[in-house]
Order: sequence, then structure tokens, then C-alpha cells
Amino acid sequence: MTDALIGIHAFLGEFGIFAFLWVFVELLNPTPDRVKRAKIAALIGLLLIITAWFIGGYYYVNTYSPDVKPVIKSGETPWAHSIVMETKEHIFLFLPFLALFTFGLIKKYKDKLVEDTKAKIPILLMSGLIVLIGASMALMGYLISSSFRGVLEAL
Amino acid sequence: MNIKTKALSLTTSATIWLIVVITLSAELSSPLKNFLTNLTGHHWVTKGVAAAAFFVLLYLIIARFTEEASNIKKETMYVLWSSILGGLVIFIFYLWHFFFA
Repeated sequence: MTDALIGIHAFLGEFGIFAFLWVFVELLNPTPDRVKRAKIAALIGLLLIITAWFIGGYYYVNTYSPDVKPVIKSGETPWAHSIVMETKEHIFLFLPFLALFTFGLIKKYKDKLVEDTKAKIPILLMSGLIVLIGASMALMGYLISSSFRGVLEAL
Repeated sequence: MNIKTKALSLTTSATIWLIVVITLSAELSSPLKNFLTNLTGHHWVTKGVAAAAFFVLLYLIIARFTEEASNIKKETMYVLWSSILGGLVIFIFYLWHFFFA
């Protein structure tokens, strides 16, 4: 069950990020149909990120904190928790709000995006930022999992 | 619902800085961390709930009293730089905390 939860969290988080990559691509050269798809993609991304927040949070509180964290901290790479996980769990909290802001921009300016080419720039910047933060979450998750496995293998 | 982007950008930036400030303050003050933990059972859960509640309340207040943004690129840059700087502050803080605190 634990492995399933962390897998679902990673799946939802990554697909949430892919949704904002989809937004980015659609708005590079916006047409009415592309803007409509970008709005749907941003909504999907927002919902996936919020769901990843809840499932990841449940796993973090009920499994990671009591069972995984002490193992990592007792091993040779305690920084995997003390620096990487601490950074990940707090920067992750930015993502739902950034996703909501980006969705709000698309919803508000959907009619302007085709005519005014400059109107798309803020949304491209925000989508790109969400993708970069999401990629860093995935990398940090890999480091934390690798550290945990390393400690278990050394036992 | 008519979205006010200036209120949304100010609220998003402020929420990011709230997360940064609560995170650092709780690490530097055990009583605060214990207080956050006692509220929901885990300090991280309290931070998330506090950020969400703060976001909703602040948006409702700011949206009531501000006009619509005239320069959405400028508003977006506040959010963008808040995220980058806030993330760096958290990362550098935990680096410092691990090696020197």
C-alpha cells in the first residue's frame, strides 16, 4: 500500500506537470482551439497537483515521517532528508497556488490570447516555472528514494 | 466568477512568502513548531492548511479593494520572482541548518 501511495503521488505530480507542459506548447502559437485546449490542460494540471498534494501528504505524515525519515537520518546520507526532503516538502506547497494563478490567467485572458501576442508571455512564463519546479520535485524524490534504498541495502 | 488578476497575483506572492516565513520560523522556534504540530497533528499539514486559508481570505479582501491589473506581465513577474527567491531561501536555509546550525 505504501509503495502504491508513493507511486500514485509521483504519477499524479508528473502528469500535473505534463499538463502545464501541454499548456506551454498550446500557447506558443495560440489559436481559439489551442487556447480552449490550454484552459482544459491547466484545469487538469491544477486538479492533478491538488490530488498529488493530498495523497503525498497522507503518505508523508503516516508513512514517511514515522518509518522512512528515521532510516534515512540513521544512514550515510542524512542530508537526503535534512536538506532535500525538507526543501521538497515546502517548495511543493507553492505548486497548487502557482497552478491556480496560471489557470486564472488563462481563464481571464482567453479571448485576448489570439489577437495580442504579448498576452501569452505571462502564461508561458508561469507554465515553464511550474514545469521546472515539478522536474526538481521529481529529481529530489529520486534522491530521497535512492537514499532510503541505500540504507536498507547496507543493513 | 470574475477573476481579478492583480488580487490573484498579490495573493499568490503573499502566500508563497507566508510559506517561506512559517517554514523558517518553525525551524528556528521549537515552541512555534510544536504549536503548528498540535493544531493538526503535523506541522507540514498545518502549513498547508494555513496557506490555503490565507490564500482564500486574502484574495477575497484584496479583490474587494483593488482595481483590475493594467500590466499583467508585471504582476506575473512578482509571482515568478517570489517563487524563485522563496524556493532559494528555503533551500539555502536547510543547507545552512544541516551544516552549521
